[in-house]
Amino acid sequence: MEATETVRDRDRTGAREATPSVICSELDIVYTVFGARKKATTTEGEQPWLERILRQRRQVDVGNVRKVHAVKGVSFVVRHGEAVGIIGRNGSGKSTLLRAIAGLIPPSGGRAWAAGRPALLGVNAVLLTGLTGSRNVMIGGLALGLSPREVRERYDDIVEFSGIGDFVDLPMSAYSSGMGARLRFAISTAAAPDILMIDEALATGDAEFQTRSRERIAEIREQAGTVFLVSHSNAAIRESCDRVLWMDQGRLIMDGPTEDVVAAYEASHRKGGR
Amino acid sequence: MSSPSTETLSLTEPPAGAPASDAATGRHTPSPLSPEECAELARSAGLSELGVRPHRRHYLREIWEFRHLVWHLSSAQAYATNQNNHLGQLWAVINPLLLVGSYYLIFGVLLKTRGGTENYIAFLTVGIFVFGYSASAIIAGARAVTANIGLVRALRFPRAILPMSVTLTQLLVTLPAFGVLLVMIPLTGEPFSWHWLLFGPALVLQTAINLGIAFFLARIVNAARDTANLVPVVIRLARYVSGVFFSITHYAGHGIVSMLLLYQPLAVTMTIGREALMDQYPLTWSSWAAAGIWAVVLGAGGLVFFWRGEGRYGSD
Repeated sequence: MEATETVRDRDRTGAREATPSVICSELDIVYTVFGARKKATTTEGEQPWLERILRQRRQVDVGNVRKVHAVKGVSFVVRHGEAVGIIGRNGSGKSTLLRAIAGLIPPSGGRAWAAGRPALLGVNAVLLTGLTGSRNVMIGGLALGLSPREVRERYDDIVEFSGIGDFVDLPMSAYSSGMGARLRFAISTAAAPDILMIDEALATGDAEFQTRSRERIAEIREQAGTVFLVSHSNAAIRESCDRVLWMDQGRLIMDGPTEDVVAAYEASHRKGGR
Repeated sequence: MSSPSTETLSLTEPPAGAPASDAATGRHTPSPLSPEECAELARSAGLSELGVRPHRRHYLREIWEFRHLVWHLSSAQAYATNQNNHLGQLWAVINPLLLVGSYYLIFGVLLKTRGGTENYIAFLTVGIFVFGYSASAIIAGARAVTANIGLVRALRFPRAILPMSVTLTQLLVTLPAFGVLLVMIPLTGEPFSWHWLLFGPALVLQTAINLGIAFFLARIVNAARDTANLVPVVIRLARYVSGVFFSITHYAGHGIVSMLLLYQPLAVTMTIGREALMDQYPLTWSSWAAAGIWAVVLGAGGLVFFWRGEGRYGSD
């Protein structure tokens, strides 16, 4: 309970000068999954995050349909300029939480607020795979709220940053997963969003791209943006984040400075015999 | 539907190192701030609430701001429709021609449903192409949200963009067919006339009708997606009763049934198309007024209906 107390104190007294950018209050997310039979080991690879959550969530059967209670009563306040890591095991509700605070999944209970238009960048953040990279740059940029002219102005930067070269004129179905992730990252950060959310995307790039993306994240934070990072790499979290939320089975277990929370998380693996 | 079971199916044991083991006792993590305090803080910081429906005027402005997205999504998807084969975009012209050929064989030659028409090929061609646009727009429109759930879960934009772009995609895909139509009509012996120009406005009215139906169906299918399976059935039924390949007035007379068949939105779009292009059918106020009323009622009503579901799309 210690960590939560720390946050409570900080919210009530200190850090008043930085205004909040994301607030969650008792947030609950329940969603419906179709075609979900009890044998949850299907290989529907299109939406692995659903599948992952399916395997570990509390499940209520309604024939072919299942309700998944992925996030339960999560509350926190994040301020401008903070970089927040979200850690937890597979299926602990991290990605769902991220989607909820990006305004993509409506809350089933509780409320959430955010500043501006959050940009979510996930491994599965769907670009249209049948279309070429350049079409996706335009559509992605427009969907992030840029004007066609702004997208055209930033087009070269986006392609250059993604490092995919001539592949930009091929359909994205021809891309390697790393190339797709790099293009997504380049598009999502081109709009300099108020809130950038990254869902395990950095792990896919090579070492050089990881360095560049870390620099881009630092830039966004300097522009008083807020960064959320979901990752299974504790090293990446330690490097980029100054605060961490630890999720388990849909609940927020611990919320505090990176070092404390990651250390406790790692300790839980050892005691759990992993 | 069975009521949700209260039993918790916990497949994982709680993490051993969790402080005060919240997970083990199953209690909520206490909120750092009460819900009222959170709301107050959000208001003072000027944050917008997530997952709530925006105001109607605000929604319209948002749609307007995203108009470029509608266009780029539609044109890209329309182009992608025919890119997976060797003849590519040529299929957009070949397909409707094949369709006219097979319908002519069945209904013109074998079943002989040409009663009451002077130029059956023109009658049939207008019917097939105009109805084909509505059919594909409505079937695709019904799945506008559910088929693009990946987009919905990855990007935040007013969801009304989806039915709009799906409808526009189908219009773009059908445009080559309408080009074929305008070439074929004089070849079948129809004289040129100034009222051919009215085919453009007819297409606009038809698009508004299709879009309105797409708005209604997209929300319904998102809420109860089994209904998506009924849409093609209803469309097939409509194909046989809307006068695609036979004249309603010739076969159904002038009674109340004939009126219902004639003035339902899908039949009206074909009537005004034929009045614009064919000499046999003079322009009538009643069909154009009916089309205009349907376009406004369905278009505006559909948008309002769809907007009322905004904030809930993507939760399933």
